[in-house]
Amino acid sequence: MADYSMMIGGAAGQGVQTVSETLSTILTRSGYYVFSIESYESRIRGGHTFTLLRVGEKQLLGARRSLDVLVCLNEETYERHIHKVHPKGIVFGKVKDQLRGEDIRVFSMDFEGEALQLGNKIFANMVATGAVLAILGIPLQKAQEYLQEAFGKKGTEIVAKNEEALKRGAEIVANFGLEGKYPLPPYDPTPRYLVSGNEALGLGALLAGCTFYSAYPMTPSTGILNFLASRAQEYGLVIEQAEDEIAAINMAIGASYAGARAMTGTSGGGFCLMCEGLGLAAMTETPIVVVDAQRPGPSTGLPTRTAQGDLLFVIHASHDEFPRFVFAPKDPEEAVNTVIRAFNLAEKYQVPAIILSDQYLADTKWSYDVFSVQERPERPLLPNKVPKPYKRYALFPDGVSPRLFPGDEHLVVADSDEHDEFGHLTENLLIRKAMQEKRMKKLELMRQEMRFPFFIPGKDATLLGWGSTWGVLLETRRELQKKGKEIGILHFSDLYPLPRGLQELLAGLPTPVVVEHNFTGQLAMLLSRETLLAFPKRICRYDGLPFLVEELTEKVEEVLST
Amino acid sequence: MTRDFDNPQVEIAWCPGCGNFGILRALKETLEELGYKPQQVVLVSGIGQAAKTPHYLKANVFNGLHGRSIPVAFAIKATRPELCVIAESGDGCMYGEGGNHFLHAIRRNPDITVLVHNNQVYGLTKGQASPTSEEGFTTKAQPWGNLAHPLNPLSLAISQGASFVARAFAGDIEGLKGILKRAITFRGFALVDILQPCVTFNRVNTYSWYQERVYYLGDDHNPHDQIAAFERSLEWGNRIPLGVFYMNPKPTYEEKIRERTLRQRNVFDTEVFTTILQKELSRFL
Repeated sequence: MADYSMMIGGAAGQGVQTVSETLSTILTRSGYYVFSIESYESRIRGGHTFTLLRVGEKQLLGARRSLDVLVCLNEETYERHIHKVHPKGIVFGKVKDQLRGEDIRVFSMDFEGEALQLGNKIFANMVATGAVLAILGIPLQKAQEYLQEAFGKKGTEIVAKNEEALKRGAEIVANFGLEGKYPLPPYDPTPRYLVSGNEALGLGALLAGCTFYSAYPMTPSTGILNFLASRAQEYGLVIEQAEDEIAAINMAIGASYAGARAMTGTSGGGFCLMCEGLGLAAMTETPIVVVDAQRPGPSTGLPTRTAQGDLLFVIHASHDEFPRFVFAPKDPEEAVNTVIRAFNLAEKYQVPAIILSDQYLADTKWSYDVFSVQERPERPLLPNKVPKPYKRYALFPDGVSPRLFPGDEHLVVADSDEHDEFGHLTENLLIRKAMQEKRMKKLELMRQEMRFPFFIPGKDATLLGWGSTWGVLLETRRELQKKGKEIGILHFSDLYPLPRGLQELLAGLPTPVVVEHNFTGQLAMLLSRETLLAFPKRICRYDGLPFLVEELTEKVEEVLST
Repeated sequence: MTRDFDNPQVEIAWCPGCGNFGILRALKETLEELGYKPQQVVLVSGIGQAAKTPHYLKANVFNGLHGRSIPVAFAIKATRPELCVIAESGDGCMYGEGGNHFLHAIRRNPDITVLVHNNQVYGLTKGQASPTSEEGFTTKAQPWGNLAHPLNPLSLAISQGASFVARAFAGDIEGLKGILKRAITFRGFALVDILQPCVTFNRVNTYSWYQERVYYLGDDHNPHDQIAAFERSLEWGNRIPLGVFYMNPKPTYEEKIRERTLRQRNVFDTEVFTTILQKELSRFL
């Protein structure tokens, strides 16, 4: 079964992301599965950036550490990553003799030198792309089509130069006799989808009927803003770059009050600023969807790295108590469905819904044979007969009052102060008590909407995780299966409120091991609180990088042996 | 006689003699005289004594967070441009906590009216200095006297080319109504800074203090001249000008997005949803 891992590294500005984008698209279109992770620094030029690209003939759910091919657009890439190349791997790049020594895996390729011969060193990334395609034995025809698509707007000369660069890379590989060294099976014409988490979250919003998105740019959530902005003209979306995250969430709330489906997106630091607004959405019972694309913190932290450190934060964010939904989609396909569901449920219960993403989910591209969107946008029907004067916060048995929009027959009064049924501010403490009970009552109904975690039983241990780690958990399970271990998985996408019935399931799990991208094991704490069970075995990674299959496999073996 | 915008059900929590009463009356009468129905009006406010105003008349109300009325008002107007949207709050809310939103709303130029009840003091929190308090103004929190220089909201707005900038006085209801009418009917971001005596916490800037100083800008002032408007906005002390300082008509935010928003689709219709889904998915092949 062909399954290769490749890394292309260089300085920011050398076009590593273009290589990644180009290769991912071409390989997907050529009928293979791709899984690509982006690692970049918070800078525009220089530093170190790389793409970890895995290609294979079956669906891939995570990235591996061991490299078959390392492409070094600069020498730093070689120094940093050579130890990951397995003994039969290949390294391309301009690497000084004293550095490479006797290493027979290294083939000298001067990407920038070749590009300069074509007139500009910017073509170096396309020389590298051509080289990788040649090693995999991919004919250049698909690549040429893609270049036309990607660079056509820049003129025929640019397209021609890029084509030449591609050919040049392939030629050099052929001269080394490495053409088709890592062969892929023949072309499979099944069309496949290649989608990143940020694109999926944007697409989900579009399909959910979201017409208003306000945000302040913040890595790694900015891709959602960019995606929706790219669709704004076509679908009539109002997209506003707010002056800060406080304005962003208040705008979303205003739009929702006026009748739109509205969303905002940010990362943890921006979410901190949104806490006040989150409480406003709760108090005024105005539905909104908020995406928190997590990165390591606290404070500014590591802007371009991944983390799952905000789970308990978003569950408790803003003062006092109020119900909210928290979801963490496991992959781009689920992300589209989750956004639609989040909008439906936020409106049904008139509460805020939070979607936790992270840099790993946001930037990673996954390929799919079938990209299934099962959720459909649904709006609660507006009540057709409402007594006058309209009570926006009428005390209904289930805590959900009929919601109207301003501009029609009835006046709609919403207040951030504690208020009476009409929405007017009050300091009557009996009303306060009734209103707090009305809001909190919804929580139990919301719990019934939550889905049970994804579960595969396994007798030797069970890996517990949430959100974007789903894929790597599955890959790790397969890896351990090869070693004769039967590992189960319990993975949560619906996190708050947690569904009922977990106690029984969790109590019966053989050796639960919680796997998370944070220091303390926040899912473990949440589950302990819910079930009064203890989850002492934890694998926590918080250096900002995602779990890779081999590393997690080793960690699980280590934990199980103690 | 009860009028359309009167709301007798709600008890008013202001001090007797508060400048807010005059502003409330002027606003109700203005809206009525302009021919609005309460259903067509959305009043958005923040927190503070002034921010309670929307509860005291009959209209759609969004009484949000301290300092945050403008982003909410902006989004309501962008979503429902047919509604008359007014953001209303005090000087602490609009110029202090919400100062950043105030600046950026000027840039966006939504067709909303911003009414600031400017009493140069914090009322709800009981008497601290506000962004517009005079230097040296003593309070329990600033017993040595306010060390900061007051913000000049008019100069600020005019310097940024705000589309409509005016000042009114709560003690002259007819004059205030005239300015409110012009502000509400003006297409674009319209600021009315309303000088409002606080009878409890501001013993300096009282009704009589204002009455001795205020006067209306005359015909000699050209409100389309930004430099002249700026110059007049600096005038403060023995003589305080009222009226429309500056008018700078330009396309509003809603006008700029209008053509785009007409292309909104109803994704709740299964057929529309399926068409968009297929089209979008094909872009990921």
